Amino acid sequence: MRKAMPHLLLAALLALVAPLASAEVRELQWSDLIPQGAPPPPPPVALHDLSQLADALAAESGPVAPQQSPAEPVVEALDGIRARLPGYIVPLEISEEGRVTEFLLVPYFGACIHVPPPPSNQIVHATSELGVKMDALYQPFWIEGPLRVEHASSELAEAGYRMDAQKIRVYELE
Amino acid sequence: MYLLRLALASLNNRRFTAVLTVFAIALSVCLLLAVERVRSETRASFASTISGTDLIVGARSGSVNLLLYSVFRIGNATNNIRWESFEHFANHPRTSWAIPISLGDSHRGYRVMGTSQAYFEHYRYGRKQALRLAEGRPFGEDIFEVVLGAEVAKALNYTLDDQLVLAHGVATVSLVRHDDKPFRVTGILQRTGTPVDRTLHISLAGMEALHIDWQHGMPARGAARIDAEQARQLDLQPKQITAFLLGLDSRIATFTLQREINQHAGEPLLAVLPGVALQELWSLMGTAEKALFVVSLFVVFTGLIGMLTAILTSLAERRREMAILRSVGARPWHIAGLLVAEAFCLALAGVLFGLLLLYLAIAVAQSPMQSHYGLYLPLAWPSTYEWSLLGGILLAGLLMGAVPAWRAYRQSLADGLSIRS
Repeated sequence: MRKAMPHLLLAALLALVAPLASAEVRELQWSDLIPQGAPPPPPPVALHDLSQLADALAAESGPVAPQQSPAEPVVEALDGIRARLPGYIVPLEISEEGRVTEFLLVPYFGACIHVPPPPSNQIVHATSELGVKMDALYQPFWIEGPLRVEHASSELAEAGYRMDAQKIRVYELE
Repeated sequence: MYLLRLALASLNNRRFTAVLTVFAIALSVCLLLAVERVRSETRASFASTISGTDLIVGARSGSVNLLLYSVFRIGNATNNIRWESFEHFANHPRTSWAIPISLGDSHRGYRVMGTSQAYFEHYRYGRKQALRLAEGRPFGEDIFEVVLGAEVAKALNYTLDDQLVLAHGVATVSLVRHDDKPFRVTGILQRTGTPVDRTLHISLAGMEALHIDWQHGMPARGAARIDAEQARQLDLQPKQITAFLLGLDSRIATFTLQREINQHAGEPLLAVLPGVALQELWSLMGTAEKALFVVSLFVVFTGLIGMLTAILTSLAERRREMAILRSVGARPWHIAGLLVAEAFCLALAGVLFGLLLLYLAIAVAQSPMQSHYGLYLPLAWPSTYEWSLLGGILLAGLLMGAVPAWRAYRQSLADGLSIRS
């Protein structure tokens, strides 16, 4: 039940907000950041033949495969819109007053150990003039502001989303 | 206004108790503000120490531990990491710069850090400010050159071209010194207000040269000794360092590289995001801070209760005073106002005197705090938060004053002019 709450809330908020400010702020889901036609990631191959177990284990101890393709496809249409997105803040820069002025917004907290980190199109690199005071890393926030889509100009350049987070609000379950 | 004058005159009549009460409140206010000041300045100095660095990499330990020893020079490293690992990630396609850090030696209590030229180019503090030299140049041509942090130079009175001897280990008073290989000061950095001020910077080759003739954990003796001149001729390629800082070409790549480093097959490594580690450190310190804050709040409360006691006890002996006031036409609410004004005066005097005490304490403790703890306490005006604390204390003083005021109001109604005792 609790898990359904955010979706209900989102739906309710959308219903409220959509007619009022449809031209203004667009509320995004994390899945909106992945292009429709993007090929799904290859499923993990099940290992049936136990005689190959040794090879599989050897691969484990070998060099790590590049965990995600560095430049996942992005939705170009989102460039320039004013968006609102919920997520967790991973602080990058902290001002002297203890405010986080630059951060990565990710869809789930405490990633990074059991599973590979989120792909580049599931991370928003945000900057904030005023900054946000954080008490705990596991506190979700709404961030709102103009979204910019960076293109992968070369093989190495990272494509991804950037946002000038003009409004940052604590995400609350109600 | 005449009420306030009367209250002051009445207080003047009981100066000794009044002064003691004010002093008690002042001490408690000073304590509360000092705790708040130290808390906010510690946070500010921690937050401003590192900026622009995407990942800190070191041997496996904890994220807070790695942050503390590599950047804040607090505590000791758990282990060194191989030079190959550093090279591997310094040449990683996503890396735009890498700063190696080699720790373990000291000079009269100040930590020595072996690093490379990249440190002066890429290290950032505060709001992405670069390090700047106040005098001289970075180390370079010779391996036995050292660049001092501002605090080191000031506290130990070093100027350019001075010679100094580094000590093995990080104790303030060192018994084992590298006195065969003195270093020459080539540069002094500008003050940053960060641990950089308390650090001596040498090249990695210099760090290697210091320990080149060490065998079995002690300096070589007799013929096995390698003096400074011989050391210059040797290959001083470091084999291990303590940690390194990485700057990436894109901040979105941070997680990817962090995972790659944490799963590095060459040796166990730990990569942390400085911002995340700092946040963890704060949530750790938060508990202690809150405890201190609550304790100092209670001390303020005790001070105010002391004031309340003093006023309440004085009420009995002031019945005659009240009666006289009533006889000359004071109404009961005048009496009550008198007592509230008295409490307010005491609280206000306590707050002002407390502020004075705080600034005196800061003025006295400023330079020892800076040199011992690297904590700079500015003689700044109270912040908005501190003003609100002070306002809260004054308000509490007023509320406290309402208790004796109410009693005096009731008494002066009941007693009237007839005093039986």
